Amino acid sequence: MAFLEIEGLSAYYGKARALHNVDIAVEKGEIVAVVGANGAGKSTLLDSIMGLTAIKGDIRLGGESLAGLSSRAIVEQGVGYAPERFNLFPYMSVFDNLMVGAFTARDEADRNLQHVFDLFPRLAERRSQETYTQSGGERQMVSLGRALMTGPRLLLVDEPTIGLAPKVCHDIAESLRRLNGETGLTIVITEQNANFAMSLASHLHILETGELKMSGTADELGSDEELNKAYFGH
Amino acid sequence: MSQIIIQGLLLSGLYALIAVGFTLIFSIGRVLNLAYGAYLMIGGYVYYHFTQVLGLPQIAGILMAAIFGCVIGILKYRLIVKTLKGDHVAVEISTLILAVVIQAGIVLVFNDSSKILHPIVPGVWRIGGATVTFNILTAALASWAILIGLYLFVRNTHIGRAMQAVSMDVKGAAISGVDPDRINLITWGISGALGAVAGVFFASYTQLSPSMWVAPLIIAVAVVIVGGIGSIIGSLIVAHIIGFMEIISTTLIAAELRGVFTMLLIIGVLVMRPRGLFGREEL
Ligand SMILES: Nc1ncnc2c1ncn2[C@@H]1O[C@H](COP(=O)(O)OP(=O)(O)OP(=O)(O)O)[C@@H](O)[C@H]1O
Ligand SMILES: [Mg+2]
Repeated sequence: MAFLEIEGLSAYYGKARALHNVDIAVEKGEIVAVVGANGAGKSTLLDSIMGLTAIKGDIRLGGESLAGLSSRAIVEQGVGYAPERFNLFPYMSVFDNLMVGAFTARDEADRNLQHVFDLFPRLAERRSQETYTQSGGERQMVSLGRALMTGPRLLLVDEPTIGLAPKVCHDIAESLRRLNGETGLTIVITEQNANFAMSLASHLHILETGELKMSGTADELGSDEELNKAYFGH
Repeated sequence: MSQIIIQGLLLSGLYALIAVGFTLIFSIGRVLNLAYGAYLMIGGYVYYHFTQVLGLPQIAGILMAAIFGCVIGILKYRLIVKTLKGDHVAVEISTLILAVVIQAGIVLVFNDSSKILHPIVPGVWRIGGATVTFNILTAALASWAILIGLYLFVRNTHIGRAMQAVSMDVKGAAISGVDPDRINLITWGISGALGAVAGVFFASYTQLSPSMWVAPLIIAVAVVIVGGIGSIIGSLIVAHIIGFMEIISTTLIAAELRGVFTMLLIIGVLVMRPRGLFGREEL
């Protein structure tokens, strides 16, 4: 039994179906990437795990089904989410944004905050800054930090590097690698950039218009010719 | 002159308290709660019933008013706002209808003659040329204490931060483990209690009558529209502008003008600065 099991997952916006019959399994301690173009359904997939869309099929974490739970309950089950547009609280300070993440994990708030500041020292320096004045890279750190404040067993990150400069992308990737390496946190990221995904993840899943096209390790997918043309640009 | 300044300060404190419960709902739930004035009326009548009919001590009367207001706020959210979720026009029309229904209920129970509340704290205080009733002084001090308490609560507690979070980004709040529905419910309860307590002070400053919900509603609407959403300090400043405008116009021009300038101010700001003087950009 895998740590995260997504089975026959379909997701709907009203009558429109954005995901169709997706199966993904993620082992504990892995970094996994879901790769797809604009509109492939990457954000929908992560939103669905978080209980934010109407779904069919099942999602299990550590054997327990998340399907039908409220987002709050899913957070309490140990899922942290750094969404695509961050969804930060713009007129609240960095500190207050992080503390909202501690809403269901109040007893561990001090320890988790220390952990976040260790990972992103820049946030400690800027703890009083309101996030609407921050740069994209800083917002991504706050977003990741807020997700970590919930004390997750599974971290979902939607396009961690979109719109960021190469140096910042590198830093964010490094932070994710560190998180995974030091605490064994299981991480699922989504990416449009397959090369970046490959550099970070042990397994990749290719999503096309709501359906899973292919799954495999970086090596397996890297040798597929058709895939190379479509996603790796060579 | 000193009369105007002192009366203006005291009245403004009361107005800030009147507005804050309304502002809270508008900032967090994005609902113009047009039944808000009715919370004040209920607070006033509940206080009247428990202290002047049943003879309970004042503090118990205020507590009962707060409890009634809180329950009505919660019921209103559960039965109306949540059911009509997202349909702002329907919510606002039904809140206005609710206010009229409550008014009819008050007439039924207490008849439609107006009633004078005994001062919460009797006596007057003379400083300089000015006289200040202990009643309005108590109302102003209590208002400030409640406002400061509320400010600290919203800024420094988990629930308070969650309230701010829901007001700024519902999805962001939900993925942080905050249940926006529960936060809305809590906010409606707090707003109802604040409105009812403000109503006790307001009624003791004016009088109890089944149409008393209109004037405080206009004050609250004015503070939200002129101050803009999401700015507690902005609301306080606007409460003072309105309070002073009213004292100045009623003492220097004519008592009949009470409220008129407030309405003119609402229209002026709507036309010239729809976001309000201190408002943030819509998120
Ligand atoms: N709230 C919504 N209402 C209706 N349709 C939606 C909604 N959100 C997404 N969709 C549709 O679902 C499909 C998948 O969208 P999704 O945002 O999951 O793609 P994505 O892979 O994250 O794309 P991107 O790389 O641009 O972020 C698209 O066709 C999109 O139009
Ligand atoms: Mg997306």
